[in-house]
Amino acid sequence: MAKEEKRKETLTVEGDWPIGSYVYKAPPLYKELLACYKEKKLIGSLCTGCGMVYVPLRNICGRCWRKIDTRVGVSDIGTVTGFTISPEIRKGEVKVMGIDPVEAGWLEEGERLIMVYVKFDGANSNYTTILMNAKPEEVHIGMRVRAVWKDEPEGKLSDLQGVEPVKQLQHTT
Amino acid sequence: MWRNVAVIGVGQTKHGRRRDVNVAEMISEAAWRAIEDAELAPEDIDAIAIGNMQGFGGVCQAELWSGDMFGAPGKPLLRIATGGTTGGSVAQCAIYQVASGLFDVVLAIGFEKHSDSKEPGATMGLAHVGLANLFHLLECGVDMRTSFAWGGGVGAAAGVSAYQAANYMHRSGCGVEHLDMVAAKSRSNAAKNEYAHLQWPNCTPDDIANHPRYGKFAAYPLRFGHICPASDGASAIIVASEEFARSAERPAWVRGLAACADEENQMAENAQGVAVVDSSEQIQCKVAALKAYRMAGIKNPKKEIDVAEIYQPFPHQELIYSERLLLFDDGKAWIALEEGETQIDGRLPIDPSGGVLSTNAIGSSAMQRVAECALQIMGKAGEHQVPKDVKNAVAHGWGGSTNFTVVTVLGDTPRLRR
Repeated sequence: MAKEEKRKETLTVEGDWPIGSYVYKAPPLYKELLACYKEKKLIGSLCTGCGMVYVPLRNICGRCWRKIDTRVGVSDIGTVTGFTISPEIRKGEVKVMGIDPVEAGWLEEGERLIMVYVKFDGANSNYTTILMNAKPEEVHIGMRVRAVWKDEPEGKLSDLQGVEPVKQLQHTT
Repeated sequence: MWRNVAVIGVGQTKHGRRRDVNVAEMISEAAWRAIEDAELAPEDIDAIAIGNMQGFGGVCQAELWSGDMFGAPGKPLLRIATGGTTGGSVAQCAIYQVASGLFDVVLAIGFEKHSDSKEPGATMGLAHVGLANLFHLLECGVDMRTSFAWGGGVGAAAGVSAYQAANYMHRSGCGVEHLDMVAAKSRSNAAKNEYAHLQWPNCTPDDIANHPRYGKFAAYPLRFGHICPASDGASAIIVASEEFARSAERPAWVRGLAACADEENQMAENAQGVAVVDSSEQIQCKVAALKAYRMAGIKNPKKEIDVAEIYQPFPHQELIYSERLLLFDDGKAWIALEEGETQIDGRLPIDPSGGVLSTNAIGSSAMQRVAECALQIMGKAGEHQVPKDVKNAVAHGWGGSTNFTVVTVLGDTPRLRR
């Protein structure tokens, strides 16, 4: 493949990048969603036109292009419908937006991140999240999983930390 | 009712790392070659359509200032951007303009120059299309680990495609070894195409799977050797009315075209939520194919299509889209691959040019599919010309996230009038 070309540093500009202050804000219905996260609950929006349940919330149904204002509870147990697995990620190997994810503490040294689509029971859409407490070779489409919540949720998206295999949970309880 | 339209000229630059030209010079090269190939003069061109993947080049936005580098002064110029489908959309725009009777000869150009930014595509392109969808969630307390899942660990299209590959493997029963086979076929076909980027003569599936670097998984089930390069390049076609095309030696007639979008298969805003249909289903491609074939009068695409140029930056997509273009039964494309049917000398060659897997200058990629189909019909594909009489060829493009599809059917005779 192409050799990395040596690039001369021509100009360096120092400054801040206030990425949290973008004018485009999260939709107001995220407040509703996060209030439920604080109680370790998942909700979806039900389209009364076609019966689709979207998780997380959405206020317009793409299928029938009408407004949705009905909310329904959704199980926190679901099925894996798609997955991908990262290679072992080590310090100094990958940079995201110029940040080393291992150095920043987002990933552990040598971790293989398992990323999954989950269709929670009662929902029609897929939620993309992390599969925890499982080995890469265990993941498969059709695997039953359960939501893993933070011990003390704060009403943030990160309260839902990921999902883990249901079977394992049954053994420990 | 529309007028008959044909592709009468094709021009491509060498794709790869083009440090010898700037964006405008590169576009100019493709435009000149297309005009020369059509045996026209610049003044014969009535209008121009151009496009690239907005923001991915990272610098210049050449289509905004370089009109005089490709003969546009005094002429109508349209810029189109639909993501990966851009080149296909630009070609279709030119076809609309001639079919409608508005113009007789239109030049359509697709281009991309990745190497001008330090991390091709990623720095500006992804910051532009991807990260803005993450930043606003910071106030909702999104955590970085989950956001990796949205990007599939390796970012954007490659990330979405990794899930798509796993889904296709699950429903069709194919394995990673079949992805190696597609990648090897693509690389070795590219070696026969002078304009292609990653050329690897006689590449075998084992070469990919056992290679110390390309054999490694970037995001399971995709290996590094399964991923398209970020190329520099431009390609152009001349689209002309029947009156002009009749004087050409062997024009490639446009027999049908369609575009279709299906947002239900993709992760939506915030990269999650709406994927109601799994992204390997690609129903919109089937809809577009059915429409384009009906327009072209093709009843049995399995028998009537002689060659296909599919937009496949990742190998499983060649399999998915060849099924969705109705060239193989659902979930059976990998069997045809195993039997060698899709090789250059096979029953139904797919991507004899090497395809997008070997050359991906995004704005140029879907344009090259149309251009390559035209070359096969004209008999001008050179070393990668398929060894048979090409009557019908289908050119495909996908873009957006995984939601847009364009399909253009070219043939050796004009479209039947009904």
